[in-house]
Amino acid sequence: MVHRLEMREMTKKYGDFTANDKVSITLGEGEVHAIVGENGAGKTTLMRMLYGMEQPTSGEMVLHGKPVVFRGPDDAIRHGIGMVHQHFMLFGEFSVAENIVIGYEPSKSGFFQRKEAVAKVRELSEQYRIPVDPLARVASCSIGEQQRVEILKVLYQGADIIVLDEPTAVLTPLEVKDLLKTIRHLADSGKSVILITHKLQEVMEVADRITVLRGGKVTGSVAKEETDVDDLARLMVGRELQQLSERLPLDGKPLLQVENLTIRDKQLLLDRVSFAVHHGEIVGIAGVSGNGQSELLQAISGLRTVQEGTVRLGGVDVTNQSVAKIRETGLSHIPEDRYLWGAAKTESVEENALMGYQRKAAYNRRGVIARDAFRRVVQEWVKRFAIKTGSRQLQEQAGNLSGGNLQKLIVARELGHQTAFLMAAEPTRGVDIGAMEYIHQALIEKRNSGDGILLVSSELSEILALSDRILVMYKGKIAGELSRAEASEEKISVLMAGGSIHGSSQRAM
Amino acid sequence: MVAVKELCKSLVQPLLAVFIGLLTGAVVIAAVGESIIGTYQELWKGAFGSFYFFSSTLARATPIMLIALGLALAFRAGVFNLGAEGQMVLGAISATLVAIYLPAPGIVKMLAALVTGIAMGGLWSLMAGYMEAKFRIPLLISTLLLNYIAVLFASYLVTEPFQDKGGSAALAQTVMLDKSIWLPKLFAGMSVHAGFLIALAAALLLFWVLRFTPFGYEVKMLGQNPFFAQYGGIQRIKVMLTGMFASGAFAGLAGTVEVLGSHYRFVDGALTVPNFAWTGLMATLLANSNPIGVIFTSILLAAFQTGAMGVERNTEVPLELASVIQAVLILFISAKFSYTWWKQRKKKGGNTHGVA
Amino acid sequence: MEWLDWSLISSTIRMVTPILLAALGGALCSRVGIFNVGLEGLILVGAFSAIVGNHFTGSLILAVLIAAAASVLFSLLFSYMTIGLKANEIVVGVAINFLALGITTFALRAIFDVKGAFYDKDMAGLPRLEIPLIHDIPVVCEIISGHSPLVYLAFLAAILLYIFLYRTVTGFRVLAVGMNPVAARSLGLKATRLQVMAILLCGVLCGVAGAQLSLGQVTMFTEGMTAGRGFIALVAMMMGQSHPLGILASSLLFGFMDALSIRLQGFSIPTQFTSMLPYVLTIAAMFFLKEKNRGVGSNQ
Repeated sequence: MVHRLEMREMTKKYGDFTANDKVSITLGEGEVHAIVGENGAGKTTLMRMLYGMEQPTSGEMVLHGKPVVFRGPDDAIRHGIGMVHQHFMLFGEFSVAENIVIGYEPSKSGFFQRKEAVAKVRELSEQYRIPVDPLARVASCSIGEQQRVEILKVLYQGADIIVLDEPTAVLTPLEVKDLLKTIRHLADSGKSVILITHKLQEVMEVADRITVLRGGKVTGSVAKEETDVDDLARLMVGRELQQLSERLPLDGKPLLQVENLTIRDKQLLLDRVSFAVHHGEIVGIAGVSGNGQSELLQAISGLRTVQEGTVRLGGVDVTNQSVAKIRETGLSHIPEDRYLWGAAKTESVEENALMGYQRKAAYNRRGVIARDAFRRVVQEWVKRFAIKTGSRQLQEQAGNLSGGNLQKLIVARELGHQTAFLMAAEPTRGVDIGAMEYIHQALIEKRNSGDGILLVSSELSEILALSDRILVMYKGKIAGELSRAEASEEKISVLMAGGSIHGSSQRAM
Repeated sequence: MVAVKELCKSLVQPLLAVFIGLLTGAVVIAAVGESIIGTYQELWKGAFGSFYFFSSTLARATPIMLIALGLALAFRAGVFNLGAEGQMVLGAISATLVAIYLPAPGIVKMLAALVTGIAMGGLWSLMAGYMEAKFRIPLLISTLLLNYIAVLFASYLVTEPFQDKGGSAALAQTVMLDKSIWLPKLFAGMSVHAGFLIALAAALLLFWVLRFTPFGYEVKMLGQNPFFAQYGGIQRIKVMLTGMFASGAFAGLAGTVEVLGSHYRFVDGALTVPNFAWTGLMATLLANSNPIGVIFTSILLAAFQTGAMGVERNTEVPLELASVIQAVLILFISAKFSYTWWKQRKKKGGNTHGVA
Repeated sequence: MEWLDWSLISSTIRMVTPILLAALGGALCSRVGIFNVGLEGLILVGAFSAIVGNHFTGSLILAVLIAAAASVLFSLLFSYMTIGLKANEIVVGVAINFLALGITTFALRAIFDVKGAFYDKDMAGLPRLEIPLIHDIPVVCEIISGHSPLVYLAFLAAILLYIFLYRTVTGFRVLAVGMNPVAARSLGLKATRLQVMAILLCGVLCGVAGAQLSLGQVTMFTEGMTAGRGFIALVAMMMGQSHPLGILASSLLFGFMDALSIRLQGFSIPTQFTSMLPYVLTIAAMFFLKEKNRGVGSNQ
């Protein structure tokens, strides 16, 4: 039998690092093939090779029985391969139709036929039952709509093989359901779909065949009927997960008190948000990203001014104070995007570690930063969190560290401030399992020592594993609160999508 | 140790660029039909050929170095200040006027003039910083435009109200300063003056501040990633404004020492025609904003200029040889090849595992 | 108000031409994500090459073509340094300005053996076109007729650029590359090629701007005769939000101020203040420039 696509023994090395080690997969017509694995397992590298963005070190790809080599994405597109990237590749100021036809625009003697483009998009949208408004500006579309634009784009380009890279990470539960339906419909109309994800529930719902990657190698390739979620999880992780420390029952005083916090910037971003975090408590904030979590974090940390409401930290009113002042009052902060907010990639590990300590009396000798004393502290962190810094140790450029190691450095730096209150935003996004365990353990320990933590995460499993109380944000509001005992993935999902649950209090004080 | 290593690192690319610059110069010289070696010999002699020429080179390097130091600070903070020319001229004219009209003994006047020059240069620059902070007017553009305004205003001052009417030819200049205010020459009969020592001291001070103090750290981190800096509690606007003031102050000082040490009066165009400001910018870029490196690159660029004067005196090759070589230098210093370029390529490959 | 008459408008149209052409070139660059500070140098090279071309070929058409070609050569260097070698575009732009100033002054000495300025009384400047139909309409004729062909070309270029960007497929892709280069590359659009094309086209426009300066407004070359027009063009580009018609409007504003400052020199205001006018007004105008141009960062 000839498969539509075969990737044979694909290997990709970056220097000493092997990102893909003899990975083979096959893909048939009308098949949905899920590729699952933890961060850093090599899923993205494999897809980059398929899409012509990376050249394999060895191995071959066979399309319809013929070996092929893709020199670039345009080459791959011409051969009927389409990719929906995790970070959308869209042009915000262009219309939906323009975004879909770009690269293959209908034209007459060099002039762009926009009307024809709109008509074609309408047709395509009906054919595959993927609703979009061709004339809308993409920047004003919701994330779900933008994803549909991406899917229509690859269909317009004539793809038979559609690669979806972590497509559900940014969607509401409802949108996820629609997407899975669309994927099924595409497969039924003869398209082949490669679904890259680490969410096993979804895989079991939609995939025909599942390939599991770990550390760049295939650890299993099975039909859906022959497996289940637990089986896949074992293949993905390769060992039992470490148990987190026991959480001590603590009943602390309020530490962070947020009242009626409101932010307006053309539109209402935060709408009268009120809650408290107590000593010895982890409060988790769940929600689809973009529902006001970033604004909340920035408001508490002083990076953004608020129009109404107050933030009190340890009893001190810190509303609209400077970042420096708030940090001094007792805030440390693991930022949501480590490369944007959390580090300077071009600077050394030591310089990155120093942020926030440069004016502390302990590391200051007559106006000069006491580098030696500080270096000893950083070395402690490196040891405690097993941070792999590379050959130049503390002088290594931060950008050369892996995501997990840089994140551990940031966590160590913020914990090092020893403040009573910590904000942790997406503390394990994009890090490997080992780093995740370290970070989770550190957060639990901090909680057990009587400090308070506000955890914001778009991973429900992380929220459920760590939080004592869970608040769900939806459209800039607290949509509901659940205690650790009553929380479940289903209940949170409903709140995340704007629904309501009986028996849960709407006031989150 | 680290400092020495860093210094060496920051010198590799400049040397390569100097080589390419001289190569281009050779092509240009050949195009005019002169002897390449002969011309370069004249260039060397004009810059370093005798103690007199050498001291002229140092004198010319003085304002360049001061301007370059100010820009080094601004660039470290990620602030693109292109207004050194206006800041220098405004500092110089204000200092000159204080030196002429302040009723005080010589040494007091000299100090007052220096302080005024520093303050006016700094304030003029601060204004651009303030406009960026408050009204989001891009520094790149505002500093450029403020140059024209400052230079024209100074020119007006010395053609109308404060012109030296004493001379037979009504040149656009102020009256001569009293001798008691002059910055002393370092060697009798030579052009290099005490301003050079001020510049050297400023370079060392700036090096120390940037390398060892919390402020230096904050400037650097702001330049590397302003979001990270803000997140860490560094006050972006405060550091930016301080940086702008300081860089303008250095430029103002540059203009002031040039007046007090070389011209002894403000002459319209005397600071702009030799292109001190843009040469200072180049010196900073060549030194990769390292204050110690700036000492060497300023002298190097000054040497090209004084050397080119020698070339023009003794051969058919025009003075502008220096501009051509300098521009090529900058072009190639900004290109990221040699090892920096190589490292970037390697990093690109290295970064991809994070994505996988 | 004796200084305000119709000929002021006419001279505005003449003064605006180099600024408009260069600003359109700058806009092309900014539309593909490149902030080109080297406009000043590119114009200067064009101005000088036009004179050289005219001197040696005696043909005005060839002179303009040579001016464009020389500026394209320099913009080729600019694109190689910024795109090929990933050098900081602002630094390269500054260096290009320097190189242009150095080389033109150097070549002025080497070729014509003069210092400061080259003037040849036998050299013909660009002809003034009399537009036939409107010849008899008094005011309109005075304003519109009697300019060099390059003046009309500049206004035409603004309209053509508008059509190019907003009506053609290639223009659409140029906009895409500037808006999101990563996405453009992932689609397999030839982003680099489009960027280089935009920079080279900018060179053509700046070269023509230079030719208008040295052969249209006067018939001579002086050292650094661009006198900051490249930077004014940059500001015009930002004020016009890199939109061809917006640039047309902002350039006209600057042209008018230029013409006005020359006109005011006949009065008892010191020349320094009249020359200062465009810069002061530009800064004042920027207070009202709400949306900032994306191409400008203060980061090195």
